[in-house]
Amino acid sequence: MTLPEFQRYQLQFTRHIRNPGGAARPDKVSAKRMRVYTEIVFNNLESSVAACFPVAKKVLGIRSWTKLVRKFFIEHESRSPLFRQIPEEFLKWLEHAPEVPPYLYSLAHYEWVELAVATADVSVDPHVVDPIGDLLEQVAVLAPSMMLLRYDYPVHKLSPRRKPIAPLPQPVHLLVFRNAEDEVRFIELNPVTARLVEILQDDHLTGRQALQQIAVELAHPDPDTIIRFGRELLADLRQQGVIVGAKRSAA
Amino acid sequence: MAHFPEICGAGLGLKRELIPQLQAMHGQSVVAAIDFLEIAPENWIGVGGQRGRQLSWLADHYPIAAHGLSLSLGGPDPLNEDFLRQVKAFLDRYRISLYTEHLSYCTDGGYLYDLLPIPFTQEAVKYVAARIRRTQEILERRIAVENASFYVAAPIAEMDELTFIKAVLEEADCDLHLDINNVYVNSVNFGFDPHEFLHGIPDERIVYAHIAGHDREAEDLIIDTHGQDVIDPVWALLKEAYSLFGVFPTLLERDIDIPPLPELMKEVDYIAELQGAYSVPKSIASP
Repeated sequence: MTLPEFQRYQLQFTRHIRNPGGAARPDKVSAKRMRVYTEIVFNNLESSVAACFPVAKKVLGIRSWTKLVRKFFIEHESRSPLFRQIPEEFLKWLEHAPEVPPYLYSLAHYEWVELAVATADVSVDPHVVDPIGDLLEQVAVLAPSMMLLRYDYPVHKLSPRRKPIAPLPQPVHLLVFRNAEDEVRFIELNPVTARLVEILQDDHLTGRQALQQIAVELAHPDPDTIIRFGRELLADLRQQGVIVGAKRSAA
Repeated sequence: MAHFPEICGAGLGLKRELIPQLQAMHGQSVVAAIDFLEIAPENWIGVGGQRGRQLSWLADHYPIAAHGLSLSLGGPDPLNEDFLRQVKAFLDRYRISLYTEHLSYCTDGGYLYDLLPIPFTQEAVKYVAARIRRTQEILERRIAVENASFYVAAPIAEMDELTFIKAVLEEADCDLHLDINNVYVNSVNFGFDPHEFLHGIPDERIVYAHIAGHDREAEDLIIDTHGQDVIDPVWALLKEAYSLFGVFPTLLERDIDIPPLPELMKEVDYIAELQGAYSVPKSIASP
């Protein structure tokens, strides 16, 4: 089916905006006026992307960064009408983008997580939480907006002067969550704590059961040591706001 | 929608950086002229956390008008009805009665996140009007469409902007969101008389207006940045519109180089002042 003339014109118009060097502008349109669009539309998009990825932009340098965003604009068909999801669209494209440094996707993902955790529309019903409940004998309630992450690169330490040349020997575990004051917090976890948080996220085991499972997974000769150690871990996670309390048993 | 607050008087386009000031100055005379706020649903749908709480506070303290960015009424892609249903839920949740969108497009298979001009052709009139009707159906309310600013006139156009707007309004049976600044911007960019344009507007359809500043790039080119104070010729057009059509709710847009709220309020105050002056009944006002 052929498109109506006005739509063919519109598509030629946007092809040129996305790729001024590769697609001709529509016939009889002034180059000077067309440039207003090619500049404004790209600059607006670049600002929306860069706002979420300041470190990636700095690490790449302005030239490579601008080229990367241009490539994204040419190649990617963004599905979301929501402006705050522009960074997510960029990330979706970046995951499969060729010829980018191997750490770039992890770094960008980590930068995006802050936005995602800050704005997630989730909350905890205070009625179901006992803030001072026993975390060993009850099920923990975690901060409602939280992401447990594992990266092959030290994304939390990257800068233009610290670009990794190879993946870490062991992946880094990072926990990003929104505390009771709605501030986003970042914590680096050791593998055992990360595993504990992961089990607690399943939302059905008590602290003791979770720690017993870890003891089994580690084939630890003395599960009681793990539980003693774990009790402090749970208290510490509560103190930091990762755990908001214990789940009240249904009345 | 009788229980939704009505939009009237003078309003301010909400920017996130203004929220702390709005909360701090709430109830003080400096912000007394703000009758309503306007937000883009695209920036707020599905947002929780601190920003979500801010929005709830704002909706509790001010009537909110919604001004969309991404509906792409003139776009070649199918109308995004899933998105429209999200908009509907959003409007209901924050008790928003007025939803307006641009007479423009922002998609070509994917979103470009900017407003692009629709060629003024007969086919485009039918196409856009059908999409507006469908939008009104899904949202279960009338919507208003805004005359957009633009920089490139399509060589394939079959009519001028005013004829196009009137035809769309008629065909879709929807309301007009009159952007006074855009009338001025386009009059410079395309060399027409803004006063004549204003006189041709179907006034019975005006439900809402915008006023804003812009950047003068050249003698014949204005970029619609919303980044400066409103200039006198644009204020003069607003006065002319009020005297021609009566007063309608009017909102100040400021998106770039946003001054502190008390400074910005001077322009909102001026809108309110003009509305007061022009809403005097004619029998008393005329000698």
